[in-house]
Amino acid sequence: MIRPEEIKMSSEETGKWGMVIDQDICTGCQACVAACAMENNVTFVGEVDSGYGRSMHWIRIERFWEGEYPEVKMTPNQPMLCQQCGHATCEPVCPAFATVHSQSEQLNLQVYNRCVGTRYCANNCPYQVRSFNWRDYERPEPLPNQFNPDVTVRRRGVMEKCTFCIQRIHKAQDKAKSEGREVVDGEFTTACAQACPASAITFGRIDNPESLVSQLGHRSHGVKHLEELGTLPNITYYKGG
Amino acid sequence: MSNKFSRRDFLKLTGVGAATTAILTGCGPASRYVKREPYMQMPEYNYNGLSTFYATTCRECAAGCGLIVRTSQGRAIKTEGNANNPLNLGKTCARGQATLHGLYNPDRVTDPMKGDSKITWDEATQVVADALKNNKPEEIAFLMGTAPDHLFDFVSDLANAAGINVPVRFNALSMFESRATLSKAAENLFGKTGLPFFDVGGAQIVLSFGANFLETWLSPVSYTRGFAGLREAQTKMRGKFVQFEATMSSTAGKADEWIPLKPGTEAMVALAIGKLAAEMKGVSASAFEGANPEDAAKKSGIKLEALEHIAEMFAHSGGALAIPGGAALGQSNGLAVAEAVLALNALADNFGKVGGVYISALAPMQTEYHGPASAQEMQDFIKNMADGKFKVLFVHGVNPVFELPAALGFKAALKGVGQVISFSTFPDETAAEANYVFPDHHGLESWGYQRVATGAAQPVLSGAQPVVSPFYNTRATIDLLLAAGQIAGGKFALTFKDEVEFLQSKVAPLMNEADGFFSAPDINTFMASFQQYGGWWKTTDGRTVPAAADVLNKSMSGAESKFAGEGEFFFVPFVSPTLAEAGANKPWLQELPDPTTTVMWNTWVAMNPKTAEEMGIEDDDVVRIVSEFGELEVPVYKYPAIRPDTIAIPFGQGHTAYGRYAENRGVNPTDLLGQNFNEAGDLAFAGVKVKIEKTGKKKPLSRLESIMGVYGVGMGEEH
Repeated sequence: MIRPEEIKMSSEETGKWGMVIDQDICTGCQACVAACAMENNVTFVGEVDSGYGRSMHWIRIERFWEGEYPEVKMTPNQPMLCQQCGHATCEPVCPAFATVHSQSEQLNLQVYNRCVGTRYCANNCPYQVRSFNWRDYERPEPLPNQFNPDVTVRRRGVMEKCTFCIQRIHKAQDKAKSEGREVVDGEFTTACAQACPASAITFGRIDNPESLVSQLGHRSHGVKHLEELGTLPNITYYKGG
Repeated sequence: MSNKFSRRDFLKLTGVGAATTAILTGCGPASRYVKREPYMQMPEYNYNGLSTFYATTCRECAAGCGLIVRTSQGRAIKTEGNANNPLNLGKTCARGQATLHGLYNPDRVTDPMKGDSKITWDEATQVVADALKNNKPEEIAFLMGTAPDHLFDFVSDLANAAGINVPVRFNALSMFESRATLSKAAENLFGKTGLPFFDVGGAQIVLSFGANFLETWLSPVSYTRGFAGLREAQTKMRGKFVQFEATMSSTAGKADEWIPLKPGTEAMVALAIGKLAAEMKGVSASAFEGANPEDAAKKSGIKLEALEHIAEMFAHSGGALAIPGGAALGQSNGLAVAEAVLALNALADNFGKVGGVYISALAPMQTEYHGPASAQEMQDFIKNMADGKFKVLFVHGVNPVFELPAALGFKAALKGVGQVISFSTFPDETAAEANYVFPDHHGLESWGYQRVATGAAQPVLSGAQPVVSPFYNTRATIDLLLAAGQIAGGKFALTFKDEVEFLQSKVAPLMNEADGFFSAPDINTFMASFQQYGGWWKTTDGRTVPAAADVLNKSMSGAESKFAGEGEFFFVPFVSPTLAEAGANKPWLQELPDPTTTVMWNTWVAMNPKTAEEMGIEDDDVVRIVSEFGELEVPVYKYPAIRPDTIAIPFGQGHTAYGRYAENRGVNPTDLLGQNFNEAGDLAFAGVKVKIEKTGKKKPLSRLESIMGVYGVGMGEEH
């Protein structure tokens, strides 16, 4: 049993990647969802399984309704993805240590070949951003030609979720290391942020006060979702308006 | 340059190593010979884990966004926006991302086909040659899509040389955009043809009448960037956005105020706002004099106070902008709507100013604006087909059997054409009706260019090159026509060796154009840069200022539009923002939730929940929608943000061919449309009234949102 004072708050640590999402300019166009699927070999599941809520989106656009016609309003589109919590509720419940915290990147990892498919982590995630491979979904030839060779293809019985495009992080870090320098802010970004036509998603190092994501994150009206649960999410949202 | 020139030789020659971030160029057809390799066996130019990047142009719609495609071992892995391209500045939409699911679609046309049997390309070339040679020039017709432009230019040149019919272009997106109406209204008011460009990003208040510019309208990536600029609150006041529309589209969902006006009253409302705003500004404007705000408020269902409030915002803002588009123009009075809304901009005095209206820059080497055919022009074309005026019809880049309303009779008219030859990459509905299918390469396997019609300040020619070698036994349509032309002889024998030579001849004059962001002394160097940067554009603003002089003194009509049919519901078809007209065969586009309803993989009809309740209709109940032109059956989605007297159905599904992911899925709302047009020749697609009948059937829709909590379902308060 870990006592609360022993929990090292991830906000005090370095190496932290984070994101700022501006809901005021997100148009809900789904470009991020498609970009994520293409980058991360996320499978499609078909009409029936998606109807049962088994679709594998690592990022989804939430919208809710307020009021009734004619005073009805669509709430600002809310891209929801793994918040890469500093104190993640999915981690302690995994019996196989498949979802663990990375000390070096301060990310919440998912180790596919450790996962035994208990789905405890998904049950425990307050953001509902983990998706489970209920089947080996068919991707007929020649669709697999498009697979990103940097990302593992998952199969039945494995949990998966947003990784903050860790393959891109590693690639940028390797390149910077080989050139004897630090990774520069804006040198690379996640697939969702890169595609977003409104530039509503900003990704970068939140432990670097000079980075764009830190600058945006320090605006006063940012919200961290379900912060009151003590999950220390690394994504800041702006509702705007 | 020899065709045997391999990529390896090329690399040695130019000294460009395979580097992860460098974008490789070629100065000939080199990248045609990029080979797919097993992952275990690396090509010499590639290191394990290192990718090669190519700049090209997206062909999912005609906007002309630049792409950088990441390839690995000769496979296309990921598309990103080309940050250099002034149109999209490194961004893409969902369809641009999913274009790879078209390239590697399991249901492509793999070989030249005669009916259901494969033939060789030699036989195919002979078929085309015979078709050209054995018919009179006036009996040969080309029907083409809005992309790619280089092929259109080639066929236009061929038509000029050989005297065949000039190619006709059509696309369902421009039909639903009401593009012809918009450009016609601009011509009427400004005395100059052209496509208006609305600088949303610089505005302070935007009134949009039906323009769904965050979805598929004109150039969605560019307009989305503009919208982000509108909302930018760091350096200026956060701009406001008001959308007038009977159903809340995903564009309207982003509006600060959504005004669900009665369909058909748009012109009246625009003129009323103009009148109120002119009074507030103390400007005399005879264009708005006939308007009666009280009457407009009553007829449109908008409160008079709301109209006054909007007029006040519009009159007193430093950056007011009004945009007409989409369903508001797709009505019998669409042209009047477009003119009334454009006139608001004259009142705001924003022509040629930041946050105002411009006439879009013409693309490099373009001397005048050419729009695609309107639905009415297509009707004339169909009549010519049915009357047997065409002995041979070539179809490329468009799927008219699906995209045009069935009531216009394109499919039946094909019987009147002796020979139909499709160049479709996919087995679509039109290809299924064709005598021959001679598949073109996929856009990512193709050379070409696309003129940017609107969305960028500069004149832009977006360049395309193959990023992978052709996956199947397909052939570039230009190469096929060149070879067939040689056999046919006479005026059909153009002198180009192949598509690349034609392309070079077309872009060569750009070397001498002023203000280019690069220039080169010879064609090979120029082409290398053209391919490396993904096109050529000027560094200067090419937009022109509309003539404002007379606009406020024109006479405007605020009459309500007329509706076809006797039904009790207004019917608003709209283009699915994720699927659009040709996305249904890409499985990941199917699995993208609609931004408004979150429905995936199917078609729904959006009904107001109260109306549905009164009629005893629940979610997922299948209803029959009947118009005077046709009927269809579709499950209901109780949509909280639609007028009680209006229903809406997305366009994009309902394919009877087009591969496993598209076929027999959902319905095509154009089945409910027919031959009613507005004055500009656009289809009055939002000018139809329909009846709803219950069928007693149910079809559960797959949706991303849980139905838990929606209308109280599952929350212990069902009703």
